[in-house]
Amino acid sequence: MQIWVNYLDQILIYGALALSLNLLLGYAGQVSVAHAAFGAIGGYTMGYMVTTYNTNLMITMLVGMVFAFIAGGLIALVAIRLTTDYLILLTLAWGYVLIGVFSTIPALGGSFGIISINSEPHKLRFFGWTMNRPSDWLIPIIIMVAITLFIVWRLGESAYGRTLKGIREDPIATQSTGKNTFVMLVAVFAITSSLAALAGAFTAGWLGLATPPVFGFNFSLTIFAIVIFGGMANFKGSLIAAFVLTGLDPILRRVIKMDQEKAFLIQIIIYGLLLVILMALRPQGIIPEGRTLRSFFVRNKDQARTEMAPASDSSPTFVTRSSGGETDQAKRHEKWANAEIVLEARGISKSFGGIIAAEDLDFVLKKGTITALVGPNGAGKTTVFNLLTGAIPPDRGTVSLRGKDITGKNLDGSAREGLIRSFQDVRLFQRLSCLDNVKFGVQGQHGEKIRNLFSAPGKVRASDRMTHEKAMEWLSFVGMQDFAHVPTAALSYGQTKLISLARVLATEAEVILLDEPASGIDTKWVDSMLDLIHAISEQGRTVCIVEHNLRVVTDLADHAYFMELGRITAEGTVDQLTSSPRLAQAYFGTV
Amino acid sequence: MLAVTIGREIFAQLTVNGIFRGASYGLIGAGFALILGVTGRFHFAYGFTYTLAAYMAYTLHFRGTPFGPFSDGFPFIIAGIIAVLLVSGVGVGIERFVYRPIAKGAGATALLAVFVAALGIGIAGQSLIALLWGQQSQGFYDQGRIVKKEAWSIWKVTFENLDVYQLITSTTLIFVFAAVLKYTSLGRQLKATRVNPDLATVIGINANKMYLICFGIGTFFAGVAAFWYGLQFTVNPDMGSRPVITAFVVAFLAGTASSPIKVFFTGIAIALLEQWSSMFISTRWTQTAVFIVLFIYLISRSFSTTAFGRKVKRIVTFQGVRA
Repeated sequence: MQIWVNYLDQILIYGALALSLNLLLGYAGQVSVAHAAFGAIGGYTMGYMVTTYNTNLMITMLVGMVFAFIAGGLIALVAIRLTTDYLILLTLAWGYVLIGVFSTIPALGGSFGIISINSEPHKLRFFGWTMNRPSDWLIPIIIMVAITLFIVWRLGESAYGRTLKGIREDPIATQSTGKNTFVMLVAVFAITSSLAALAGAFTAGWLGLATPPVFGFNFSLTIFAIVIFGGMANFKGSLIAAFVLTGLDPILRRVIKMDQEKAFLIQIIIYGLLLVILMALRPQGIIPEGRTLRSFFVRNKDQARTEMAPASDSSPTFVTRSSGGETDQAKRHEKWANAEIVLEARGISKSFGGIIAAEDLDFVLKKGTITALVGPNGAGKTTVFNLLTGAIPPDRGTVSLRGKDITGKNLDGSAREGLIRSFQDVRLFQRLSCLDNVKFGVQGQHGEKIRNLFSAPGKVRASDRMTHEKAMEWLSFVGMQDFAHVPTAALSYGQTKLISLARVLATEAEVILLDEPASGIDTKWVDSMLDLIHAISEQGRTVCIVEHNLRVVTDLADHAYFMELGRITAEGTVDQLTSSPRLAQAYFGTV
Repeated sequence: MLAVTIGREIFAQLTVNGIFRGASYGLIGAGFALILGVTGRFHFAYGFTYTLAAYMAYTLHFRGTPFGPFSDGFPFIIAGIIAVLLVSGVGVGIERFVYRPIAKGAGATALLAVFVAALGIGIAGQSLIALLWGQQSQGFYDQGRIVKKEAWSIWKVTFENLDVYQLITSTTLIFVFAAVLKYTSLGRQLKATRVNPDLATVIGINANKMYLICFGIGTFFAGVAAFWYGLQFTVNPDMGSRPVITAFVVAFLAGTASSPIKVFFTGIAIALLEQWSSMFISTRWTQTAVFIVLFIYLISRSFSTTAFGRKVKRIVTFQGVRA
């Protein structure tokens, strides 16, 4: 009987480690193969404090969690700047360095580790209850798993978790909606590391050991495999996978009666082959993201239909149709001249190596008007957007928004100030639904703050409801409400442009920078896009577009700046610009 | 302990050890860098192919074919060549039948999917070897009839004849390969694929074939290194993990798009560091020294780019090319 309880203990401990790794790997997309190393921090801290100072078990666990929290946060500072292949390498190195360092410290038992953790006179106790047999461990372990599950579930299945998924899909796009991705990533590394340390302390206590091999690379791999099997961003899957994979051992050893060494090897061969087969057949894991367990067995027909939905290329319907194209240019100029300045750029310069991308740019964006940046390829128009939003810091010059200097702000900082941009290559979060994509735009969500998630659930619920309503509103505004639950990977290109517009609009930012909103979509869609942009401008928002299509520019722009080789060489109404033979030649070439 | 108190002989001995071992690191590193650099596959099963090569050579040499002239086993050089070639075939097969279909199916998440599959092959392969040949270490050499191991000594520095053979093979392979990359059409095609596989396809290069060639050459290098290692020391199922992780380190430190010669010398530098550091710190620390170097390198690399560095760079190139 105790043998089976022992297996159950093991399943639950592995499950807890897989849960926290899944938050990091599945949600935030940070590939870490050093989860067991963070477990080692918890295990060694507990072992050392208990055997040396006979400290209270719970206190040792907390101390270990604090250490791991700090270590995880520090690792994150490095990890945040690395691509996936380097991150794998970093975590690999970290695992070896940590275990290597532990095994050279005599106080920690050197290469033998700490081997007599749960033995007299230092028997482990929770509130006076001595941990003698596997069954004694069961309840504390269940409580530990419950705490872990609660924390990761709360973080993962909330606005916070949605933002983590955004970082996984496209960190730049996530930043562009005003999320502080830096702080979020550091926090998620620190939290998952300290949860790993908690589970690591339980591992060491339950085994009675904290040795280098216990927390070695193989342990990290096992946890990693469990997460992959169970499916990314799927906590239920992680628990089930922990059960199934750990369950192989008793089946081989007790049911088929293999000897221990052979059973161990065959088990690993099965793990390995399963990983390969899984990647070939279901790269998203047994239960892919966004699927419930039920739908794995009974495929819900309605759900299937919505997933397949975007067959009709329905063009959006409109709230308003402005008189756009017919407005006479002079009137537009007058409107522009009288509008108040919202954003002002002075002397912006940037060079990459020897190439000057922007030189001494001066320009203004005015309230309720549409300004266009036009010019030939390579003129530096997109660079202007990058410089204004701080995606690339300018070498010189200042940007001020409503008189406030925002030059030093980075992409997410400037977005929070109310300066938001779209991307020429759209940059939607492919695996998330249209609705979720638009939700990124909604500002001031309470569910994005870790503190609120645990201290003010009511406030978070209300804020989530409001976010949902707002996002739906903006989806309807661009006419995409029927696609709310469709993942954006399934949309046509024109539709993705609309969703990206909705995401920008949902920020309700004062200044909106649109990078080629109408490029690459067919004529019918261009008209709808124009209507939408006019509608935004009429709401009193300030719009700046980069666009090649002259028809689009003529239709939209109240004012235009002409750029050539990183300089603004002319400004005025579109008519004025197009009537200049020199500019026409620069733009169209010699006809 | 201070360096001054240690004799010059010890220093010379450590240096020589470092060069021999480093040649091996460099060879494995160059193979891994080629695979990662050109194909982008995080080939974690590289260690398995390394180990397999040693075991194949071992088996071919001691067991040979069931009948015919080689029923007593192949001469050791022949056994080595056949084993290394067979293992190169295994490497090519892994790319062709595992990585390629998986990468196609996984699309944007190909890097992770291939990494997981490679991990699967690596751990399953290592356990399979343990199951077939047993967990314990086996001596490749001490059965009397292979090349005689001889200890040579010059100016109080001792080494084995096998060390020298190993150094010569590794160096030759690296320089021949560097020449192939530089002067032949195949080399130019490989480099073009490394820069941009899609664009290479457009100009008529068969990128899939280039990938297979990379896996063939890369695994070949690992096989050669494993063969010499097995001959000098012992073979065991876990022999692949340590040198191969060192090879990762070497490949990343040198840069996966670097010339094999640079990777090779990085390997030697790492090995020298490992050896020399044992003058100052306990040998247990030297095991970790490599990772500490890597760790510091990654940290410095990380802080020389902005957050999400490569992604920002992509925007920059975009505007250069398209906007």
